[in-house]
Amino acid sequence: MTKTIVVTSGKGGVGKTTTAASFATGLARRGFKTVVIDFDVGLRNLDLIMGCERRVVYDLVNLVNQEASLHQTLIKDKRIDNLYILPASQTRDKDALTIEGIARVMHKLKKSEFDYIICDSPAGIEKGAKMALYFADEAIVTTNPEVSSVRDSDRILGILQSESKRSKMNEDPVKEHLLITRYNPGRVKDGQMLSVDDIVDLLAIPLLGIIPESPTVLESSNAGKPVILDDESQAGQAYADAIDRLLGENKPHRFMEAPKKGLLRRLFG
Amino acid sequence: MASNNGVELKGGMYTFMSLKVSTTDPEILDEKLADKVQQAPGFFKNTPVVVDLTGLEDAESAEFDAAAMLSCIRRHQLIPIVASVSDKLSPLATSIELPLIEGGQRGAKIEQPEQTVTSKKSESSVYPESSEVVEYTVKTPMLVTKPIRSGQQVYARDTDLIIMGSVGPGAEVIADHNVHIYGALRGRALCGVSGNTTTRIFCQSLEAELVSVAGNYRMLETIPEELRGKPAQIWLDNDRLNIEPL
Repeated sequence: MTKTIVVTSGKGGVGKTTTAASFATGLARRGFKTVVIDFDVGLRNLDLIMGCERRVVYDLVNLVNQEASLHQTLIKDKRIDNLYILPASQTRDKDALTIEGIARVMHKLKKSEFDYIICDSPAGIEKGAKMALYFADEAIVTTNPEVSSVRDSDRILGILQSESKRSKMNEDPVKEHLLITRYNPGRVKDGQMLSVDDIVDLLAIPLLGIIPESPTVLESSNAGKPVILDDESQAGQAYADAIDRLLGENKPHRFMEAPKKGLLRRLFG
Repeated sequence: MASNNGVELKGGMYTFMSLKVSTTDPEILDEKLADKVQQAPGFFKNTPVVVDLTGLEDAESAEFDAAAMLSCIRRHQLIPIVASVSDKLSPLATSIELPLIEGGQRGAKIEQPEQTVTSKKSESSVYPESSEVVEYTVKTPMLVTKPIRSGQQVYARDTDLIIMGSVGPGAEVIADHNVHIYGALRGRALCGVSGNTTTRIFCQSLEAELVSVAGNYRMLETIPEELRGKPAQIWLDNDRLNIEPL
């Protein structure tokens, strides 16, 4: 059974693409045949994060318009087996996508026996975002610990409940997961950021994971390497934990406390 | 069928205040009524009321002076229009000079989705010119078991709205009757939007952007600081919006 998961947020710049890349990579590393689709037509980024920008020949719009085959369009990851990238078009805009076209693509992917289809949603609540979430079975709502991001997540949750295929067909609702990214326990303690409890209380959906704010995330993005591949980093470990939870494991949440400063750091830091 | 018939007979629904009488002693009644009316003199003045006598079933007709009761009610500037009794043929019912309706079961039976109690006026009435049909309707409230998200709008037409969850910022919950929120109210809540001024909003945590009762609204900025985040109810008292902790 193929599972379709949308990574969405409403707000831009909260870490959707980073999350989609890491989840796809992590699932493929665990042996699942996985494809990650960039729905941000016109603002293609996923290929950069995945480090395959020089290998893009055909894209999602070509596939939707039946100008290229699935085999021609999918980019196979060089590091991880079972991992494929379906890039967005940079020269078109979101109007190039249609529900019928996407449905055809989804059908082909299911026939190719993919276990997971990860849809990287563009920001906003317009056509691109609605296309990305339409076929979702599950949704990872990516939220930063600040009020505007939480409000936009609330909005996108409402859209998931009313505009997804599952809601329109009266099927079981889309399973919602909360992923808090760029969490900085020190700033939460100082009252500059919302706490995990505040966010969970505001959004009232189950918590999948907390990704701590870390310079490694930016370094990995620049290097075209999903941060989950950096096993040493806290962010990489937090993503790995979140994937375990997505697969049904019960893992305690980590990286929620500010690191204690040693005596020297307290004196000189 | 032309409109020049002069009269037209129609079924209609009206909302009336109901005055439940649970004493046969006119003096106690007088005292209690004075108390009630004093709380909001303008509000009760010349208000038509249904006199609910269903609580007096066991009383002996001998110790019940219907005329004294009615004059007492009228003295407080309330206008009794109809009496609600559980048995129209009881001695208590026959002694009162008001049109009768059988209302004994009303309110008790709420498992039925819709219940209408209809009573035509009896011929023995002292108000022969009246020919209207009095109807009471209880409509099932609208129940939402999920949180209301930012950007969503829910409207309960002609009934109460019950929300088991929070109302997000930028969300809007609207009802013709009361709004009950078993969660935090962070968006907008509007009750009595079709003009019912006796409706209220209840919530477990008041963080609303806006609350409105029958068109009288208040923004968060004007909600007292000490009430924010607390369980509260909002209702209308003489066109003044009241917010009080629960």
